[in-house]
Formats: sequence, C-alpha cells, structure tokens
Amino acid sequence: MTTPLTGTAESRPAAAAHQARRRRPRSEILWGYAFIAPTGLGLVIFYLWPVLQTAYFSFTEWGAFGGHTWTGLENYTRLLSDPEVGQAVLNTVLYTALGLLGIPLAIVFAALMNRPRLRGVGLYRTAFFLPVVTMPVAVAMLWRWLYNGDYGLVNQVLAVVGIDGPNWIADPATAMYALVVVGIWSSVGYNLIIFLAGMQGIPKELYEAASMDGAGPVRQFFRITLPMLSPTAFFVSIVSVIGSLQLFDLVFVMTGSGQAARANPAYSRLQTVVQLFYERAFVTDDRGYAAAIVIALLVLIAALTFVQFRLQRRWVHYA
Amino acid sequence: MWKSARRGAALLCAALLASACAGGEQASTGAQSQGKVTLSYGVWDATQQEAMQELAAEFTKTHPNVTVDVQLTPWLDYWTKLKAAVTGGAAPDVFWMNGPNFQLYASNGVIAPIEEQLDTSVYPKQLVDLYTYDGKLYGLPKDMDTVAVWYNKKLFDDAKVKYPADDWTWADFQEATAKLTDAKKGVYGIGATLTSFQEYQYNTIYQAGGYVISPDGKKSGYDDPKTITGLKFWTDLIAAKQSPDLKTMTDTATLQLFEAGKLAMYWGGSWDVAEFSKNDYTKDKVDVAPLPKGEKQATIIHGLANVVSAKTEHPAEALEFVKFLGSKPAADILGKKGIMPAYNGTQSAWVAAHPEWKLQTFLDAVSYAVPYPISKNTAAWQEAELTHLTKAWTGELPVEQAATNLAAQMNELLAKE
Amino acid sequence: MPERRAFGVHAILIAASLVMVTPFVWQVITSLKTLTSATAAPPTILPEGRWDNYAKVFDLLPFGDQFLNTALMAGGRVAGQLLFCSMAAYAFARLRFPGRNVLFGVFLSVMMVPPQLFVIPQYQIMSSLGWLNSLQAIIVPGLFSAFGVFLLRQFFLGLPRELEEAARLDGAGPVRIYWSIMLPLARPGLVALAVLTLLWAWNDLFWPLIVNTDPDKMTLSAGLAALQGQYQTDYPVLMAGSVLASLPVIAVFVFLQRQFIQGIAHTGTKG
Repeated sequence: MTTPLTGTAESRPAAAAHQARRRRPRSEILWGYAFIAPTGLGLVIFYLWPVLQTAYFSFTEWGAFGGHTWTGLENYTRLLSDPEVGQAVLNTVLYTALGLLGIPLAIVFAALMNRPRLRGVGLYRTAFFLPVVTMPVAVAMLWRWLYNGDYGLVNQVLAVVGIDGPNWIADPATAMYALVVVGIWSSVGYNLIIFLAGMQGIPKELYEAASMDGAGPVRQFFRITLPMLSPTAFFVSIVSVIGSLQLFDLVFVMTGSGQAARANPAYSRLQTVVQLFYERAFVTDDRGYAAAIVIALLVLIAALTFVQFRLQRRWVHYA
Repeated sequence: MWKSARRGAALLCAALLASACAGGEQASTGAQSQGKVTLSYGVWDATQQEAMQELAAEFTKTHPNVTVDVQLTPWLDYWTKLKAAVTGGAAPDVFWMNGPNFQLYASNGVIAPIEEQLDTSVYPKQLVDLYTYDGKLYGLPKDMDTVAVWYNKKLFDDAKVKYPADDWTWADFQEATAKLTDAKKGVYGIGATLTSFQEYQYNTIYQAGGYVISPDGKKSGYDDPKTITGLKFWTDLIAAKQSPDLKTMTDTATLQLFEAGKLAMYWGGSWDVAEFSKNDYTKDKVDVAPLPKGEKQATIIHGLANVVSAKTEHPAEALEFVKFLGSKPAADILGKKGIMPAYNGTQSAWVAAHPEWKLQTFLDAVSYAVPYPISKNTAAWQEAELTHLTKAWTGELPVEQAATNLAAQMNELLAKE
Repeated sequence: MPERRAFGVHAILIAASLVMVTPFVWQVITSLKTLTSATAAPPTILPEGRWDNYAKVFDLLPFGDQFLNTALMAGGRVAGQLLFCSMAAYAFARLRFPGRNVLFGVFLSVMMVPPQLFVIPQYQIMSSLGWLNSLQAIIVPGLFSAFGVFLLRQFFLGLPRELEEAARLDGAGPVRIYWSIMLPLARPGLVALAVLTLLWAWNDLFWPLIVNTDPDKMTLSAGLAALQGQYQTDYPVLMAGSVLASLPVIAVFVFLQRQFIQGIAHTGTKG
C-alpha cells in the first residue's frame, strides 16, 4: 500500500529539506505541529470536546425529542438513590473481579504451551484464539443457546452425568457466573498471547541455572516464570479491569434491552453500568441522567485503576 | 493525495465542511424539485415487508414521479431508533404508528395532523378515535388486529382433547390446559407469556371485569381485585406447571416453543397469520378459536396507522401516499397478504385468503373488543408493568402485592404526564 | 522432556482446546437444523443440511450491503489510523517542538477515558452534520486513535537513530525521513496497529448500533443484533446469522494468524 504514494512523496520533500537545512529548529517545530494536527484535531473534535459536553449534560434534563434544561445536581442525587444504579455497579464490579480469574488461567496455559519442542502449539494457539476474533455479538448469541435450560448443550452434557442444570442466563443465582465464564472464554486467548510473548522475553540462562540446581518445571514456574511475568500480569490486569467495567455487548445480546429485558428474572443481576447507560441514553432518552451515569463510571474506573497501582508494589516484581 | 501535513489538515477540514454543505444542498434541491421524489417509509414487521414493497410499487404506478423506499427496522429497535432519527431530523417521511406511542408523538409535534377533510367512516370508529389527539386526526388506520387462541390440532388429537368451542369459558380452557400438559414429552398446555400484555394479560384483565387504566387516563386499575384476578389466571397456570416457568420462557420464547410443538395453545393476534402460514411446522397443524369467556367476553383491539413526519420535505406526496395506504385498493392488497385491513368491508378477502383456518373468529371478536389501553406516556408505565409483574411471575411476590406496587408506581407516573 | 509429562501437557491442552472449539461446532450444527429438531429430546448430533436458516438470514438482512459497510468501515479506519497515527507518533518520538510532552499527555488522557463518555455528543455531531445512517458516521470518529499514536510512538522510540542521522546529513527533511525511513522500519508496528484496528472495528457494536439504524447502512454486528430482535429465540436462524457474520474475520485470521498474534503480543510488551 506504500507504493502508489512514493511517487508524490519523492518530488516534494527536496524543497522541504532545503528549508530544513537552513533553519532546522523552526521547520522542525512547524512539521511537528503539522504531523500531530490530523489526529490532534480529530481527538479534540470527537473525543475531548465531547467529554466536556457529557460533563455538562450530566447537569441537564432532556425532553423526549431533544432539547435540554439545566437542573443542577438533580441527576446526581437521583443517581445516589436509584437502586438500579447501585445494583448495576455491584454487578459490574463483581463481573470485573471474577473476570480477573482469567489471568492465572491464561498464565497456566501459556506456561504449558511455552515448553520447548512442544508439538502442535500452533493448533492449540489457534483454538484459544478463535473466540478472540469472533464477533462478541455472535459469541453472546452462541452462549445464550449453549446455556438454554432445556435444549442447550451445557445442560445436555450435564444430563449425561446426571445433573439437571439450571436456566443459566435466566436464573438470578447463576446468571452472573455464567456471564463471567463467557467473558473469560472469549478473552483467555488474547491474554495468553501476551503472556507467551512475555515468557519469551525471560532470559533462558535463568532456567538453565535453576535446572542445574535441580529445580523441576513446577518450581521453575513459581520461582522464575511468575515473578518475571508479574509486570506483564500487571499490565493485563489493568487493561482487563478497564475493559470489564465497560461490559456491554454480551449483556445487550443475551438479555436485550428495555421492556423485553425486564421480563428476564435475572436481568437485575446482569445489568451493567454501560447497559444502563445505553438504556437511559438511547431507549428512554433520558440523556442527562445517562451522562451522569457515565461520569460515575469514569470515577469508578479511575478509582479501581488507582487501587491497582497502589497494590502493584505488593506483588509486581521489576527485575 | 495530500501535499503536506498542513495542507492535509486543511483538506481534512475542507472535506468535513464540504460534506456538511453537500448534505444541506441535497436537502434544499430535494425540496424544490418537481421531478423525482423519493419517500422513505418506516416499518417494523419483516413478515409484511413484501406487502409494503408491493404497495409502494402500486403507488408509483399512479404517481410515476414518486418512488417509495421501504425501510425495515425490527420491532425491538424501532422506537429507539425512530426517536433518535426524529431528534436528528432524519425520520422517515411516512412511518407506522401504534397506539402506545401515538400520543407522545402527536403531543410533541413530531407527526403532522391531517388537515384535509377525509371520510373516516370507512374505518372502525375505535381506531379513528385512537389516532385522534386534541380533536385532530393524525393517521389513517392501516390494519386492525384482535386476539384469539391459536391451537395445535395435533397436540389436541394426541391428548384426545376436543378442539375449543366458540363459547368456551375459563373453566373449559383450564380443563383443556391440564389435559394437554405432558411433562414427560416437555409439552405444556399454554405459555403464560409475560412479554406481550396485548396478547395475554390485558385480555384476561378485561375478561375478569377489571381494567388497566381509567377512561380519563388518570388512574391505574392494577389494584382492582378483578384486575388481579385477570393476572392470577396466568400465574396459577405457571404454579400448576401447565405453563413453562418464566426462566424457561426467557430462554426460549413462547412463539418458538409453540412452533416447535412444545405448547398446545398460543394466544396470538390476527397478525400471526403471516408467521404461522410460512412456518413449516405450524402451517398445517394449527387453527384458531375465540378467547375463552371469563366474567365477560373480551379481546384487545388495536390497529396501526400510517402517519406523516412533521418535518418531511415532501408533505404533499407523503399525504398522498398515506391516503393511498388507507384506500380500498391498498386494503385489498393487504388482505391478500395475510394482514387484516382496517378498511370496512375489505376483511372478507383477508378471511378467504386462508380457508384452512377459521379466521372469521378474529372479525367476529370485534363486536366485543376492548381498545388497547394507552395514555400520553404509555411506555413509562409499560416498563413498570414488567418490572413489577416479573416478580409475580417468578413467584418472588404474591400477585396481589406485585400488582398493588405496580398500581402505586403507575399512578405516580400518570400524575406526571 | 519426559514422555509422560509431555503426555499430560497435551491432555490438558487438548481438553482446553475442545472447550474453545466445541461451541463453534455446535453453532454450525444448530444452524443446519430445524427449530423442531434443535429442541428435540434426546438431542440429535448430526446436522441436517437445512440451508433455509441461511436463506432466512438473507431474507431479513441485506447481508451483502452490511458486509460491504463493515469492510469499508474497518478498511477506512485502518487506513486512516495507519496514516494519522504514524504521523503523530513520529512527531512525538522524534521531532522537538514546544509543548510536545504536554500535548502527548493530552493524547494519552483520551486513552484513559471510557468511550461511552464520547457517545452522546458524538451522536449529536453526526446528527447535526446530517451523517446519521452513513458510512462517514461509522468511519470518521474511528480515524483518530490515541492508542494508535501511543503504540506507534513506542515503536519509533525503539528504532535506531543512525539511519535518520545519515538521511538528515543528506539533506532529508522530516517528511522524507518519516516517509522513506521511519515507516518502512516501523512495519511490524504498523501491522500490529492494522490488525488490532481491523479486529476492533469489525466487531464494534455500540457506536454503529446507535448511529446507523437503516438496515442498508448497518454493520454486521448491529445487523446480527437486529436479527435477534426479529427472530427472538429461533436459535437455528440466529446461529446461521452469527456464523455468517463472524466467518469473514475468522477467515482473515486464518490467513494472517502470525500478524494477529504478533500484533497482540506487541500491545503487551511494548505497551
């Protein structure tokens, strides 16, 4: 894709170079600004300015078909006393916390695949990666079917061993755990790739030395691999927490939204903050309130990220 | 491509501006053009898409300068997206309207009243009234629907149960449901569906002598003992395991359970003709019976209307199209496609289209039909209906309690309208 | 390594791989059944060659249009980000200008903000430009990525300076250095960004769901969600739709597996 452009690129920079030699610092300054201009303008128009607007909207109330009026802190006081918001925050935090279990799982599988001269690694990796590249909407639909209480594959397999499985996604007792399993299933391959790359960066000499000391693979894993991998694990946990706190696709497809979703007995256990935001912003058109909800989400993300950075000293090992 | 980074940025800005202008330009030229006009027509029912396209083509035959683009948005997204489109000024020129949403759109000036004097005596009076707000008519009735019992003849035969009689009662229905339920085969007599009040709860509420909303639209009827009897009709069936529980119906919707031969009966609208005649399983196994009689005989009548967006660039053409859609020739086309037209006297074609089914049942029901309950902000209390009654359906709360809670919240919402 | 231990490792990995792959197999099998046989007890394993479920998907969805929309959206975002992000990344990595660190901090701050914060105002921008239900709506905001700038800047910082210095002595200016020296050297980084952007764009739901509501202008993921709106829990039809919608990116993955994996590995080690 670079070839068609080189022709035009060749002819022009000669003049620019001329200029560059004479007054390098100044032209460099101009070029610096010019180079960041497209992305900079785009980010300002589509991202930074909208953040300020959303903050402003969180103090307003919207009519059914647009138009908004200033209502001060009303949305925030409503937010604090809205049981739906409290439940959604709880659900989201629970999903996020349980989702972290996917990280040790990814590390274990990465360690198994990282063994030298293991055959079929490519196939295993492909299998793990398949859910990662599959569209989340499709993943959610697929699991909704697998989890079907009467005809789903999960319960049919359980029936073979004599277990009468529940309606996973419609039962308040199981819905959130069922969702976490899907979340881990679809992300473990992604994290596995990152950990594999991290493991390849660990110096081989460390293992050789440990082998000579008579340490077996399990001890090597705990003594060398885990500590050396902790910075990567920290990075993965930061990214995964931020991602989990924004969960939407899976819930949206598994439960739907609006009235239909509320007929699912487990809906109150599944509704996430972003799902609630979507409903208030684009189903009931309560955009001012929706803006307040998403500002609360920002605070939640910032708080949990801060906590993680504080905790990292306890477990992250920087060589 | 771009000559330098700076010019690149300039070009980008220019491009943004240019497309913004281009959009505006298109709009203005569109409005003045005497030549080709394209009307967008928003609909939600995939099973009617073909019929709508045929109507559109028919309209173009008599109005060669107008083409109609039928835009299908599935039901679950239709209102969300329509509202968004209205806010963004991109609403279809003509679109389907239903009872629950009508007053909201009319009171906000989103749809245009029909100023021209038209003969509305050709439509059922309830439907004309439904689409009249502040004394002005906003839409022409397109179709009408009533609710009846669709039943699976094969499951009735297997269980040796007689097909429903025209004058059957709640007691007859309950007896049949019990006999039709066969836990071993995973077959239930009925599915006490929670997601469609129009086909289930509203009917039994009025059959029990209760009401959903007072005639002046100010008070909820959910704390009325008779209304509660109408709700208990369903929760009792779940408790007796003659209907799947709510979790099962969440995993697999009752329509699919019926189409897979797991439900012997399905309370459904006249609109289901299109679905059941296409479905390989149901097309030769089902038939129609009237809803069973409780304290009274009742069914919910409702109908859609075609309305014109207040912001359409082609108001004259849009109104012409709406008038065509409400005309007898259009009704005849609809009738042949399995949709019951609202135009008086055209329904016999609809009935005759499927001689294998007793479709006359739906027409006969009009005589005792009750209009679909609405208010200015119907959606608000409809969400409350689900939030509260879900608890009754799962058994978490007694029906009386859930219904009383619902009435309290609904009254609060109605006071705000 | 001891044979027995290798056997154990394989056993675990094969079991895990089955957990990963079986759902997809079941998806395909169900997509070829009727609703009646999908809900039959006891369950049937063999597919039945019922292609009408796929026909139903095509009936409801303008699948060709939606495929094209998705491909153009993903392609547009990839092309835009490769160009714009690499330009900005190069400037932040190699050019000196006042306010560079502050500006970079501003860029980074965008990365920290959850995207839902942008959605309501972005929607209003689109609607005031008359861009609802258009390709621009799903492409343009995706042309700019703070993440892309960050990722590529890390790459540029890791490249040796010698070639650049030599070119500068030859009289090459920043544009030439960027275009003919830095970009070719940063190929792995560009590939990583391209692959990730492609994956995220293809699977994106929230934004396309909101701005493009006309089925002809929808992307595949929004279209698939709409399919569920229509067919509720008719699982064989839904499975057929989800097979069709996810197949293209899976196919791309099979061909470009190396690039995908390296791209993702880069985000972990360099990011």
